[in-house]
Amino acid sequence: MIDIHPLTADFEDYLRDESRTVGSAQSISFPESEAEVREILARTAPSPVTLQGARTGLAAGAVPEGGHVMNLSRMNRYRGLHVDGETGRFHLCVEPGVILSELRKRLAKREIPAADWDEASLAALARFEQAPAQFFPTDPTEASAELGGMAACNASGARSYRYGAMRAHVSAVRVVLATGDVLALRRGEARARGRRLDLTCEDGRSLSLDLPTYVMPAVKNASGYYVADDMDAVDLFVGSDGTLGIITELELELLPVPAVTWGVSCFFEDESQALDFTIAARPVLGGRAAAFEYFDGAALSILRRQKSASAAFSGLPQVPERYRACVFVELECDDEDQALESLDAIGRAMGEVGADERDTWVARTDVDRECQRFFRHAVPESVNMLIDERRRTDPVITKLGSDMSVPDDRLHDVVALYRRTLAEAGLESAAWGHIGNNHLHVNVLPRDAADYAAGKELFKRWAAEVTAMGGAVSAEHGVGKMKRDFLLTMYGPEHIAEMARLKRRFDPEVRLNRGNLFAASEAEGQPVPAAFAAKGDE
Amino acid sequence: MRILVCVKAVPGSTEVKMDPKTNTIVRDGGSAVLNPFDASALEVALALKDAAAAGDPVRVTVLSMGIPATAKILRDCIARGADDAILLSDRAFAGADTLATTYALSLGAAAMGEAPDLVLCGKMAVDGDTAQIGPELAGALGIPCVADVAELVSLADGALTVRHATDAGVATVELALPALLTVAKDIAQLRMPSIAGVRAAEDAPVRVLSAADAGADSARCGLAGSPTQVVRSFVPERSGAAERVEGTAAGQAAKLVDLLGGMGL
Repeated sequence: MIDIHPLTADFEDYLRDESRTVGSAQSISFPESEAEVREILARTAPSPVTLQGARTGLAAGAVPEGGHVMNLSRMNRYRGLHVDGETGRFHLCVEPGVILSELRKRLAKREIPAADWDEASLAALARFEQAPAQFFPTDPTEASAELGGMAACNASGARSYRYGAMRAHVSAVRVVLATGDVLALRRGEARARGRRLDLTCEDGRSLSLDLPTYVMPAVKNASGYYVADDMDAVDLFVGSDGTLGIITELELELLPVPAVTWGVSCFFEDESQALDFTIAARPVLGGRAAAFEYFDGAALSILRRQKSASAAFSGLPQVPERYRACVFVELECDDEDQALESLDAIGRAMGEVGADERDTWVARTDVDRECQRFFRHAVPESVNMLIDERRRTDPVITKLGSDMSVPDDRLHDVVALYRRTLAEAGLESAAWGHIGNNHLHVNVLPRDAADYAAGKELFKRWAAEVTAMGGAVSAEHGVGKMKRDFLLTMYGPEHIAEMARLKRRFDPEVRLNRGNLFAASEAEGQPVPAAFAAKGDE
Repeated sequence: MRILVCVKAVPGSTEVKMDPKTNTIVRDGGSAVLNPFDASALEVALALKDAAAAGDPVRVTVLSMGIPATAKILRDCIARGADDAILLSDRAFAGADTLATTYALSLGAAAMGEAPDLVLCGKMAVDGDTAQIGPELAGALGIPCVADVAELVSLADGALTVRHATDAGVATVELALPALLTVAKDIAQLRMPSIAGVRAAEDAPVRVLSAADAGADSARCGLAGSPTQVVRSFVPERSGAAERVEGTAAGQAAKLVDLLGGMGL
């Protein structure tokens, strides 16, 4: 029988995640198999159960609101491999606790533990070992994330510009429902008819579901349940924030490593040049651009300060003072000639907006690529350090980072909104993120509790205005508990009620991940209050 | 002012392949990278070029001895700001020890036409680890040398002031040009090329010299010109065995003395 531990001081770390929110719980378990997951669900009934992995999420999705914590990190086996007969692509089946950085290393070294695999998987592994190098494209900044959590929040990362979010690369899932029933879903095998989805559990129990009726914005989006006419059932569970069931296995579609990967950091003397460059370069580079990332002037200033103040950051490249904005483009090409053509295209696009192609860093070697990676990751790390320092004087302060996206033609509008309202509120900020998807993380850097409160108010306003632009309130971090008010703004109370009804069809006692996406009371069917700003209301 | 930077292509990974017959490193160029110490030397040269007065421009030449694929690394140096490159490439140069390598490099320096005012080398290469090339080359060229330079303090009126690590600590040295410096890795961080630099480097010629082109005496080149004989080379075996010393501080100290004594120390 699996141990269920009282949540004593030894387990306090499991009450928080990277959102730096702290919750509460009475007990915790660490299952190592699907059977143990089901056993724990039965033994802890009817308590709420919060699911966890590496707790690297930024939306408090893994922070418990009472009850039991089920941490899936010990479910970390590699279960099998198969090759798709049509596409020739490899599909690797893993448990939810496999860590992304470990997966990457194992794929690169072709060292996948296969001790208990069946013959078909071993045959696929033999082909994998002879095939061109493979990778998994979803690349959130935090590589210590676990695959289950990444699926739960439909994680993205820099390369989602080319490859899309996690959902597109999950080809199958096994899901244990709160009732203990198991769904085994493979892409293409269970599809909705319109918004009606019929599923059959392994024990034969059938579920007929009415999917919510909202239309999802055509932008990068991790806000609420994914729904679309005739959708695949797998897609419903990816990005559901652990509210519908417990993913106990997931199958990842692997892709061949591109022949040539070059990184290009393009510097600009003002922000509008960087925005115009992005708009000009996107269509020209097409599929050769895997990532389009942005760093604003404040982010570059923070890096300059860190480089001189901290030995850990002394290896950062020197960023000249006149650079006030940076767009990083990652090129993936079939050969070096193609990459050189793409460099020319970037140079021309810079020239068109009045910038100079000499103000670029081109990374073609591992050393340079690592230097650029350090540079890009040093930005959020530096901001976290700055916030931690300010927390010492005012514990109420935490990082306030936005995660909203808008359609391509609203990029200038949304940046103007951020700049105008931040200036009006007198708030310090630094912005970076996925400009290719019009998805910036604008981080308010509160100096005191008043700034913190003003920042929170500002985010509510942005949620309403981004929704009015046809955008999404959470583009990649998921909604968790931090952004459920924004979700209400984005979809309105009727659609939130539809989501809650769908959840209760899978989880009638509202046990799983209470507080994610909507308040527990709303999940239980109580009326959803009107949003703090009605949809489209400015 | 002419600056010559000597660079070496080294294996890009720690999995170095050895030739069992010659006991020398197999260089197929597949995953070769610029020796990190030489990268720092190049940045020192490029910084001097950036800082040069308009009336006294600095020209930076990179020089290497290696297989033809090394030209790619030299072209990358040009992309980062070097003006031109010379590659000494010939089977006759293969298997060279530091003496034969130095001889070849001295011929490369002579091929510049105009003698360099300053020669910069990395302190050592990460594959051979000898740290001999710089001082030997200074000897071959008949110019003074300072090794393991951590800071270039000033350069004015043909005189150079540098700080370098010594066994006793740090020394500040003034010397007249021409001179040769070998540099520590942390002295500078090599810049990345720009798009304009990459484009310029694509069209830039790398001057490839054979032994004959360089006017080399074949008896002083490659294996034939190498008095060093490598009898055996091997990767040391690592053991993960460890013994944990527990107990009070005094007890641990006594146990440690016993253990060290048991090892004959």
